[in-house]
Amino acid sequence: MAKAEVVAMILAGGQGARLGVLTKKIAKPAVPFGSRYRIIDFPLSNCVNSGIEIVGVLSQYQPLALNTYVGNGHPWDLDRQNAGAYILPPFQKSGKSDWYKGTANAIYQNKDFLDDCNPKYVVILSGDHIYKMDYSAMLKSHIERGADATVAVYEVPWEEAPRFGILNTEGDDSIVEFEEKPAKPKSNLASMGVYVFTWDVLREALIKDEADENSNNDFGKNIIPMLLADGRKLFAYRFAGYWKDVGTISSLWETNMDILDKPEDINLVDRSWRIFSRNPVKPSQYIGSEGKVTNSALTDGCRIYGDVIHSVLSNSVVVEKGAVVKDCVLLPGVVVKAGAHLERCIVDFGTIIGENVKAGPSVTGEGPYTNHKICSEGIVVFERGLRIKADSVIPGNSMIDSDIEVSDEESVIESTFRV
Amino acid sequence: MFNNAMGLILADNKKISLGELSNPRALSAVPFGGRYRIIDFMLSDMVNSGIKNVGVLTYNKYKSLMDHVGTGAAWSLDRKNDGLHILPPYVNSEATAANVQGDEELTGVLDFLRQSRTTYVIISAANVVLNTTFDEFIKSHEQSGADISVMYNRDGIKFGSPSYILELDDDGFVKDMLYNPPKPVSNKCSLGILVLRRDLLIDIIARQMSHGKTHFGIHSIVKMYDELKVHGFEYGGTALRINNVHSYFRSSMSLLNEGVRNDLFWSGEPIYTKVKDEAPTLYFDNADAKNCIVSDGCRIYGRIEESVIFRSVTVSKNTTLKNCVVMQDVHISENCHLENVILDKNAFVRPGVRLVGHPDYPIVIGKGAGI
Repeated sequence: MAKAEVVAMILAGGQGARLGVLTKKIAKPAVPFGSRYRIIDFPLSNCVNSGIEIVGVLSQYQPLALNTYVGNGHPWDLDRQNAGAYILPPFQKSGKSDWYKGTANAIYQNKDFLDDCNPKYVVILSGDHIYKMDYSAMLKSHIERGADATVAVYEVPWEEAPRFGILNTEGDDSIVEFEEKPAKPKSNLASMGVYVFTWDVLREALIKDEADENSNNDFGKNIIPMLLADGRKLFAYRFAGYWKDVGTISSLWETNMDILDKPEDINLVDRSWRIFSRNPVKPSQYIGSEGKVTNSALTDGCRIYGDVIHSVLSNSVVVEKGAVVKDCVLLPGVVVKAGAHLERCIVDFGTIIGENVKAGPSVTGEGPYTNHKICSEGIVVFERGLRIKADSVIPGNSMIDSDIEVSDEESVIESTFRV
Repeated sequence: MFNNAMGLILADNKKISLGELSNPRALSAVPFGGRYRIIDFMLSDMVNSGIKNVGVLTYNKYKSLMDHVGTGAAWSLDRKNDGLHILPPYVNSEATAANVQGDEELTGVLDFLRQSRTTYVIISAANVVLNTTFDEFIKSHEQSGADISVMYNRDGIKFGSPSYILELDDDGFVKDMLYNPPKPVSNKCSLGILVLRRDLLIDIIARQMSHGKTHFGIHSIVKMYDELKVHGFEYGGTALRINNVHSYFRSSMSLLNEGVRNDLFWSGEPIYTKVKDEAPTLYFDNADAKNCIVSDGCRIYGRIEESVIFRSVTVSKNTTLKNCVVMQDVHISENCHLENVILDKNAFVRPGVRLVGHPDYPIVIGKGAGI
């Protein structure tokens, strides 16, 4: 088994229910992002660029796409002889077996994996943020301060602080209190869900936490408060770069748009900190004589014969003649037929938008697919593998889901297919 | 998928020069089609035909080729058994790099051929771009009872020199082959792709060596039509030949034709290439792309028309490109106008430059040049 001073564990097992139909078939970290990437490319690439060579990927919810995507880790140089990417699903044990109950329990269940690696430090990461971060700098600060645990924090605007897990610190950034979504925050340092632990300390805490039947087995809610109560040395590590949570439809959409509006913020062209991904095997993009593409991000295999304005297109998207795509996020293989007009739409894998379909916030009113719980800001989300009827009119804040029962006249779905 | 063949690609061709484009690299390593090198097509064709053992024969300037193909992983040719083998000349202590003789080259090929266990060998030239599998070709070869089969199409001499025009008899066997004929007897032009039994190829090479021949060429094998039965196999799909700068430019521009693009990229098996992990391409406010192939990692601020743009190219504001081939990492500054220009990798064009070539005679800007 591989040995390393530092091992990273990516918590990639969550469903990401707030992404609605986008995570019906795949786990959130496997959701495509930013034209060329999947969300998990960011933590994986950060690990490799930080010099971390053993990365455990804890998968549980709909793991097929994620497991295939990560595969042997080759695209991230994580196919090493004695290191690399390890997919860690929950497994049956001779005694009591269980699904991953919480973030801390997921690590607890992989205690043997970590013991075999025998690291001094463990970096815990989540698979739902878009950011570039040098974990080795954080680790250095952890070691220099003699910390037992270091939590990466991000200064959020005060008014947004009640949405986050907030860390209250002292002058030297030592953590004195953790508050989950405080109504009256005492600090604006939000936990990024990026932790460095000294493995011995974490190991002990995980065992103790597991014995507590009332625990949620969660890092933020249980492990951090427990370590604080035990008088351990916890420090906040301030991170000032670009960092976005993509846990909701609106934040996923906004973060995609950031690539267009503030390309220098995430700076994907920075060759010193490349974001690696499993590349599709497709030819270069093609823009036809009647196509027009402005303020947009495109990648291999796209074929554009219509208007693409301020949109992010993944590989192999086709926009036919006379179609208009504005402020949209189109995932791999989506086809927008002639004359369709999409605005603020997120369209999942392979879905075919029929001729002259009109969708987006400019269509007012509500329809059978209106879903204010998942959708906001007029965004329309389409499930993967749908054929949308020609001439359909879909108002903003709709989620086109094949599982919703709708009468034939009202349904916008002509058929579904497997992608 | 046929499995009983190995592949041999002659990665360079002493008869073909693309001037500044082939100065720094072997012919098959010349970038083509936005994100590929010429060799990607033949390597992919072979792999897509189930071939798992491919030799790439080089004699010179193979650094760029080796950087590109690496371990062969991009083509799934990083295998324990077989896989990708680069066959540079065997240089012994007496031979200096400058006077490497062909027999060292041939010794390496013979060893490689002898180690394999397949029945057939597909041999291909460096200069051809097509997307096919060889199942039909091998089947036709077996049915014809020929010793050697050669693939051709009906392009005649349209791609310029070197063209090998075949004259076939009524049963499709080669009875004559003419090199750059002034008056072609037919429009059947060899694609430089052969299939023959491996043991026959070993025999042919060994005999050639014993006659003092030092060079191994595809058409020296076809030329044996007097003593061996050489059958022609017509290929009906799109095949582009890169014979000179002019045909390179024309072949590149032909990719803007939907039929050619579909035939090469969308109707058959995928064409694999080395992955680069570039960022997506960004088109900014005033970007205006018309009938263009654009690859990843580009930043388009200006106007591009009828052009093939490789990876990580910057086209700045108020700049217009028309009928250009722009290779990887080229930077074109503001207020430029380029027409019928081929820019090799890493070229840098300063603001306000105006360069206009002729479609039949494009301007070539060498690798890393500053204008």
